Amino acid sequence: MAEEEDEAGYDEELDDGFGDGSGDVDAGGHGKRKRLFSKELRCMMYGFGDDQNPYTESVDILEDLVIEFITEMTHKAMSIGRQGRVQVEDIVFLIRKDPRKFARVKDLLTMNEELKRARKAFDEANYGS
Amino acid sequence: MADPARMIKPEVKAERAASAYEERPKSEGSGDAAAKPTDVNKESSSQDAVKEEGRSETAAGEDDDDQSDAKRLKVDPEKKKERRQKVDEDEIQKMQVLVSSFSEEQLNRYEMYRRSAFPKAAIKRLIQSITGSSVSQNVVIAMSGISKVFAGEIVEEALDVCDKWGETPPLQPKHMREAVRRLKCKDQIPNTKHKQILFH
Repeated sequence: MAEEEDEAGYDEELDDGFGDGSGDVDAGGHGKRKRLFSKELRCMMYGFGDDQNPYTESVDILEDLVIEFITEMTHKAMSIGRQGRVQVEDIVFLIRKDPRKFARVKDLLTMNEELKRARKAFDEANYGS
Repeated sequence: MADPARMIKPEVKAERAASAYEERPKSEGSGDAAAKPTDVNKESSSQDAVKEEGRSETAAGEDDDDQSDAKRLKVDPEKKKERRQKVDEDEIQKMQVLVSSFSEEQLNRYEMYRRSAFPKAAIKRLIQSITGSSVSQNVVIAMSGISKVFAGEIVEEALDVCDKWGETPPLQPKHMREAVRRLKCKDQIPNTKHKQILFH
């Protein structure tokens, strides 16, 4: 019960932002919002252990949950650190209690730095020759 | 996290390409700009460069530690780095052994697990529509990363529920909802909508 309440709640406030719904796509009785992550979520669910063809309703529920998660995190990040802006440090701070997510963010950012450095070195090598 | 697939033999080229693709947090952006073939070449060569980079980096790091740190602290950072390197290498080897013994179906699933990701453009649009101002690329990378972990946690919990109720995948909405209920109890699902006033 609470689940539907939550989803209906945020659906209303996000409806204005996402005007690219192609007509009234009534997905599970929720918004007119187009499904953003259907394809990617299907692959993800298969990767995480579900069947090769997951049910569309399950994918929809998961998409709603992910969007709600991102929304919550963004709102929280806006309220700490520099107000009104979302910065990486805020996200890392919010995630500090969750070991999995914290480790993942650290890894991603470290790897991004490494790749940037490697690309720069590659470009410089190219430029030299 | 060290990527074991980086050092895998040429016969598992697909795995390698998959990991290179997955590890490029900015793949969407640069992939759109450049032509596809040149992009792939750059990927594999940058991956080689990264491998070299990873090795030389730790060596350079140790030299710096020697020169800049006080003598008293010199031993600890070096030992920690060595230990971490060794643990990384052990993990890489173990993962290699594991992945090489996968069946076809398992390889498929593992490839999906590594390769799937949320589109950076959509995530960026979503965050910007909430904040009203632009966000940096690192924020998008971090957010899509933790969203994927979040989705994984839910799916794993739902599979647990499905198993406990004696049913089989594919997952049904009732499993997902029960999984969310359980994770809410463990405080893994953020919810700032219900404000509880303790004393009024």
